[in-house]
Amino acid sequence: MLRSLFSMYMRRYPAILVYMLQNTEYRALPFLKWFWRTNDFSKVTYRRSLDYTGPALMLLWALRIGMGLQILAGFILLGCWHFRGTLGAWQFGVALVISYPIVWAHLVVIPLAFGRLLIIKPRQRAAIARSEKIFRDHQAVRLAIAGSYGKTSMKELLLTVLGEARDVAATPANKNVPISHAHFAEKLTGQEDILIIEYGEGAPGDVARFAKITHPTHAIITGIAPAHLDRYKTVQRAAADIFSVGKYVDPSQVYVNGESPFTADYLKAHPAYNAYSESGVLGWKASDVTVGVDGVRFTLKKDKKILQLHSKLVGRHHVGPLALAAALADLFGLSEKQIAAGIAKTAPFEHRMQPYETAGAWVIDDTYNGNIEGIRAGTRALADLSARRKIYITPGLVDQGRETRRVHEEMGRLIAAAKPDIVVLMQNSTTQHILKGLKEAGYAKEIRLEDDPLDFYSNLASFVAAGDVVLMQNDWTDNYA
Amino acid sequence: MKKPIVAVVFGSRSTEHDISVLTALASVIKPLELSKKYTVLPVYIAKTGKWYVGDEFKKIATFQTEDLEDLLAKKQPVSLLFDNGLRLIERGRLGRDVIHCPDVVFPATHGTHGEDGELMAICEMANVPYVGCDMESSVIAMDKILAKQVAVAHHIPTAKFVSFTKIAYESGSEEWHKKINKELRYPVFVKPAHLGSSIGISRVTHKKDLANAIEVALHYDTSALVEEGVENLIEVTLPVMGNERLHPALLEEPLLKSEDFFDFDTKYMQGGKGKGKGQGMSGGQDKEAQGAQGYSRMPAELPKGLYEEAESIGLAVYRALGCSGIARIDMLIDSKAKQVYFNEVNPLPGSLYAHNWSRAGVSTVNLVEKLIKLAEERFAKKQNLTTSFSTNYLQQF
Repeated sequence: MLRSLFSMYMRRYPAILVYMLQNTEYRALPFLKWFWRTNDFSKVTYRRSLDYTGPALMLLWALRIGMGLQILAGFILLGCWHFRGTLGAWQFGVALVISYPIVWAHLVVIPLAFGRLLIIKPRQRAAIARSEKIFRDHQAVRLAIAGSYGKTSMKELLLTVLGEARDVAATPANKNVPISHAHFAEKLTGQEDILIIEYGEGAPGDVARFAKITHPTHAIITGIAPAHLDRYKTVQRAAADIFSVGKYVDPSQVYVNGESPFTADYLKAHPAYNAYSESGVLGWKASDVTVGVDGVRFTLKKDKKILQLHSKLVGRHHVGPLALAAALADLFGLSEKQIAAGIAKTAPFEHRMQPYETAGAWVIDDTYNGNIEGIRAGTRALADLSARRKIYITPGLVDQGRETRRVHEEMGRLIAAAKPDIVVLMQNSTTQHILKGLKEAGYAKEIRLEDDPLDFYSNLASFVAAGDVVLMQNDWTDNYA
Repeated sequence: MKKPIVAVVFGSRSTEHDISVLTALASVIKPLELSKKYTVLPVYIAKTGKWYVGDEFKKIATFQTEDLEDLLAKKQPVSLLFDNGLRLIERGRLGRDVIHCPDVVFPATHGTHGEDGELMAICEMANVPYVGCDMESSVIAMDKILAKQVAVAHHIPTAKFVSFTKIAYESGSEEWHKKINKELRYPVFVKPAHLGSSIGISRVTHKKDLANAIEVALHYDTSALVEEGVENLIEVTLPVMGNERLHPALLEEPLLKSEDFFDFDTKYMQGGKGKGKGQGMSGGQDKEAQGAQGYSRMPAELPKGLYEEAESIGLAVYRALGCSGIARIDMLIDSKAKQVYFNEVNPLPGSLYAHNWSRAGVSTVNLVEKLIKLAEERFAKKQNLTTSFSTNYLQQF
């Protein structure tokens, strides 16, 4: 308690506040939420440190000067009380000296909030309006990708496969909100064959708003899972928002992950929608699936066409998206050879089921995975892989809102179903629920609880040996630790 | 539940003091702490021979500064008490002593005054479980001459050799030279009998260099051996773990030419990246790994039969010398004659050869846990032996 209280008076406290602002992209609300959630500021910059950019330095000096002035004012008041006996001066003086860390943590967001409201927001609105016209007038196929999970992977996968023979442009990295779409639109040449636009929903109405701006011709729904429930409240409301993209495209051009648990009702209600899954899509049948750390192999057949495909993506759950990419590639006129070459180029993205070797063991880094469907897919892949020892590592999931308990208990059951020899849990508020799920599923092997994730990850090589397969799912960033 | 206390003893009056520090810190203390199953008590034996305990000895920085001597001067060395176990008594402030009672001792010393059986003897006397080879096997293993004699007695092939004590050599060096020249074929290797890490070893290709090489070896030791070089040499080493049931790791092949050997500088000072004496090394292939002692190939690329033969000889040596816990058996192979020769045993391999165990499926954390379990098993078995009994012998006087 005392340690956390005094952590606000450390010399590096202003830098910690700027670090927190930087990590919340200078947004007032997430910053303030993080600030009030933090007990010990000395641990905030445990994993990373402040990137001293121009704006960060400006804020840092503003904070230092502001805090310094407040402390000075406090001491002047104390001086007034001491030398002149000014009434109430010592109380105000002490209050000023003591309160500066809290006062400036809040004062610092005021110019940011005003700047955002008066300068940035109007500029963004204008850019988004311009992008709407660019998208509407563009002759390319416009593929919208929506879903609670797997969007970036699907986008990259399509970019790789379709890019084998077509001029394809896609929104970069995980830039998936209207202002990112606007920046993307500004860079288009107008000559592209296919545009892939990722929709990063976060609150009810988002997806419809994105669709009105980007005018999609095709839509892919990668799956529904409890995510952003702080705003959506229920997974059903999240699903309704994501499926709203279907209203803006021809129903026969909507492709839905049929393996996602919350999509069945929508597929039933909209028979024209196309489901894709491990079995195939658009008449293509997938078979002979084999999973290894070197990727997934399968056969895709339609009429007389037979494709022998190998992707470096790890896990059976990739077969559905890969089959869809191959089917769309066929639809857009790619040859069988081009499709196979494109699929062969698909590889894990950083921290998404990305295998690497350490101390002779295979570690599958799935630390960007942050939802229960990703956990389901990853644990299933772990079950499919053969190994001397299987080790599963996770801190649990964040932003699960009221679903936290249910999701983590389910997570415990999924982990148990993969039959790992060791389960390593990073001790936090979700651990008890995962443990309950593991217990319910009858998991009786070794469980390790770690209270210092960074230390554990840094020393992972000491825990593993040749023949081991380690699956690491999700990682909590500083603002959740 | 109270965690067992593991005293990791390292340093000591040995030419391999610094290597011992590395073994203790990186390969023993760190994994023991990561396991979260033990309380680690670092016990540092300074080059003066004084024993110290303290958490500062868990950090490499303590040994990297020039302030180590100042630190030791300020610290009180510990006293040992063999009182139903090993007791390390640290003189505390205000005259209050702190008594450390380790449940297990983990020797991490290399070379003299530790690995050679002395530390094991202390543990035996204190009746405390300790990791690794016992006193008797450590004494034999660390004496290259004795180890070879034991191997010969067990019909285990070893390269031809001539051995002598310093006194014997000094009383008739020319006779010894003649004997060597008559019985052995050049090149020969001249080795001090007890030192590890290739300290004091010379490769002699001409008769004229023999005396000098022997002088170097006897500068370090009271006895030495001269061993015939093996032709078409493939050098391999086999880490083995176990008491009765033995578990070999991978046969490892250091990547150096037949006319080369790793001296101390190559092994440790150049981070294992340097060249063996004489020639360069190749590296960078799939199965090649930079182990604790340079680039090596794991498993060694040998024909199946030869690999199995080397593994079988390694295990036979381990048994013949009575090793337990862990040891590393070095062997020499004449690749043309397909003959495997026992070379020497390292009863406490540097870094525990964790890199090899890891490739063999035993993680660094598992390795130290298994070694402690083996120490406890051996100790439990020993407790069943009767070592004293009551007689009325003295009453007759």
